[in-house]
Amino acid sequence: MRPGGGDRRARTVATLATVLLLGAGPAAARDAAGLVVEDPHFGEVLFYFYQQNDFDALTHLMAAQASGRVANHDVEAELLRGGLFLAYGQHRDAGKIFNRLLADVSDPVVRDRAWFYLGKVRFQRARYGEAEAALRQVQGNLPPGLEAEHVLLLAQSLMAQSRFAEATTVLDGWKGAADWTAYTRFNLGVAQVRNEQLEAGARMLDRVGMMSARTPELASLRDKANLALGYARLQAGEADQARAVLQRVRLQGPFSNKALLGVGWADALQDNYRSALVPWLELRDRDLLDGAVQESLLAVPYAFGRLDAHGSAVDHYLTALDAFGNEIARLDVAINRARDGELVPALLRTDDPEIGRWYWQLEDMPDSEDGRYLYQLVADHAFQDGLRNYRDLLGLHDHLQEWQDKLAAFEDMVETRAEAYAERLPPVAARMQGVNLATLSDRRDAVAERLTAIRATRDVAGLATADEQAQWEILTELERSPAWSHPDAAEAREKQRVLKGLLSWQLDADYRFRSWQQGHELAALDKALLESDRGMQEVYAARDQVPEFLADYRARIAALQPRLNVMQDTVLAVLGGQQERLQLYAVNELEAQKERLLTYRVQARFALATIYDRADAQVAERGDPQ
Amino acid sequence: MKQSRNFWWPRLAGLLLASLCFAMPAGSETVAPVIDEEVQDLKAEVLNLNRELFLLEEELLFPANTQIAVFVSMDVGEFFALDSVQVKLDGKDVSNYLYTEREVTALHRGGVHKIFLGNVKTGDHELVAIFTGEGPHGRDYKRGATVNFNKAIGAKFVELQITDRELKQQPEFFVREWE
Repeated sequence: MRPGGGDRRARTVATLATVLLLGAGPAAARDAAGLVVEDPHFGEVLFYFYQQNDFDALTHLMAAQASGRVANHDVEAELLRGGLFLAYGQHRDAGKIFNRLLADVSDPVVRDRAWFYLGKVRFQRARYGEAEAALRQVQGNLPPGLEAEHVLLLAQSLMAQSRFAEATTVLDGWKGAADWTAYTRFNLGVAQVRNEQLEAGARMLDRVGMMSARTPELASLRDKANLALGYARLQAGEADQARAVLQRVRLQGPFSNKALLGVGWADALQDNYRSALVPWLELRDRDLLDGAVQESLLAVPYAFGRLDAHGSAVDHYLTALDAFGNEIARLDVAINRARDGELVPALLRTDDPEIGRWYWQLEDMPDSEDGRYLYQLVADHAFQDGLRNYRDLLGLHDHLQEWQDKLAAFEDMVETRAEAYAERLPPVAARMQGVNLATLSDRRDAVAERLTAIRATRDVAGLATADEQAQWEILTELERSPAWSHPDAAEAREKQRVLKGLLSWQLDADYRFRSWQQGHELAALDKALLESDRGMQEVYAARDQVPEFLADYRARIAALQPRLNVMQDTVLAVLGGQQERLQLYAVNELEAQKERLLTYRVQARFALATIYDRADAQVAERGDPQ
Repeated sequence: MKQSRNFWWPRLAGLLLASLCFAMPAGSETVAPVIDEEVQDLKAEVLNLNRELFLLEEELLFPANTQIAVFVSMDVGEFFALDSVQVKLDGKDVSNYLYTEREVTALHRGGVHKIFLGNVKTGDHELVAIFTGEGPHGRDYKRGATVNFNKAIGAKFVELQITDRELKQQPEFFVREWE
């Protein structure tokens, strides 16, 4: 719409990639520095998009595309729509868009983005081989932010196919943004450890584990790297190195419990149970839901047992049995709550309505019993996706309800307009009949003709005012009087001559101005007549079009109403099914936790029985009746 | 030593495996579960329906012949922290919008806010925009901008643009008609 040079368009395309970093990185970049908006409606879409309000962004974009209001951003709009579909969980629609762009667009910048996003779509559909193929089509035209994600995604696709060596090659030596580098190094280290290249993996994990973290996200990644490396060292039997690495994990954080447990194991590995008790006893007072804390309840009495402090071992086994029993009872309550359908709404109560797209963060878990039990569950992406779908469906249901209300109002509005039209039409028609533009036009032509004649003969009196004409008439009439030629009228004749000459001089002097003035007024009259004619045409058009528009609105409303009804019922049905699935998921997770605690309880009881048996045997050996 | 390992070694292996999960930044790729196929279909249908309803609403309430849309945009905006914009059309207040921080950030990034959507007759009109916020040196700042425009047949779009005037270290406010 705006005059825009080629350089502007180039800038737009070049910066759009940045726009399309849909929640893709540590920076969660949605920036578009330098983006020149050439259609205001495209800018409006971005306004919603930058607020992470993806649903409204999609709605506005789809409507703007349908009404041809983003013509200057056709390719960018399609890329954005594909990206928004992807962010909104519509992988299939996103895939169609990117495939179409690849078929239609030859611009390598756009093609690289399309290949990248297609790879992303396929990855999300667990089609790792195809994802890899798409990602390998990228020809180096991605901006740094996307390129970082591209490399990471390609490596992930390879890792998912158990091709760790190739993943290592892809990641090795790659240098991207600091945050991405940290994630990449971590993943590379993990891939190498999995690929039994412990020392190479350890070098990578060590670098991440020693980095200075600017954000909580990176601090968490650093802890995770130290934990992974520490456990890998433990499994390799390298107790000292394991301890040193695990002690780098922060004492408070999602990985602290496992780290403390591991430090204890490092000591235990060297038969140093007294030292092992220090971190294990630290775990004793922490949240029992954590697997590491549950382990510690068994590890502490075990260590006491190894130190021949059987009395303390018995005490701690009894404490563990109590704790396990209480926790199992609480889990039973939570399982019942989950089965009764109270769980999912409780999880969504802490949802921030301002944020359209969100992922549960472990630090932001709802401070409730259910939230506490579902810590592990909510950390699982499959459950998050399910919860996200549920939330999206709830949003859709609300949207549909709003449209139901609006549609009823639209129907009323159309009928009111129809009534108003029927009421106003007769008086308007009558007034229109009274207007005869042709007569007015004829009169204008007559005036124009007269002016032309006056100009042709320079008839200065023709442009005289009414008063002047009357004066001219009087002066001329005097000449026709019978007494005009009488000698006594000489003085009167002289006066008449002077006055007529004066009037004639005045008319002559004003002639040019008056001629111009008349022409100007005639032009104004032409314009007014044209406006009137256009107005009349508009009224005629409105008279004819209004019934057509009203009929069109009625037809559209009539067609949309049943679709809306069906859609609302379907959303409700799917919502119910989705809630049941989430509940089942949650119940299974809680049952698994309970099962683990039951196993621990059996182990504790068995260990306790063993201690009692040994004590009995010792007593029997000594022949001591006590 | 061996006996001791038997106690915790299997559990260590389990925890090691758990700690060797790949890490991805928040919000990045995960594999979508199969169950969401059904939800995807539904969302796609609702999105299409939503688009049609959205267009119907706009055409019904703001027909193209009389439609006027006023947009607010910001180019750089270093010398002005936007609080609110007031729009007057032919002397009447038609919008008075107070911006949230999130919205101002979206404007800074290149988003364009549709502050007013309404109807006007064809012919000449006057639009006045009053911008309020914090100007250079943290001072309260209020400025107006006016445009006289002709509404012909077809929708009319007007942009209120906030830009920086580097030389004077001051913000500038433009009202611009879209062709």
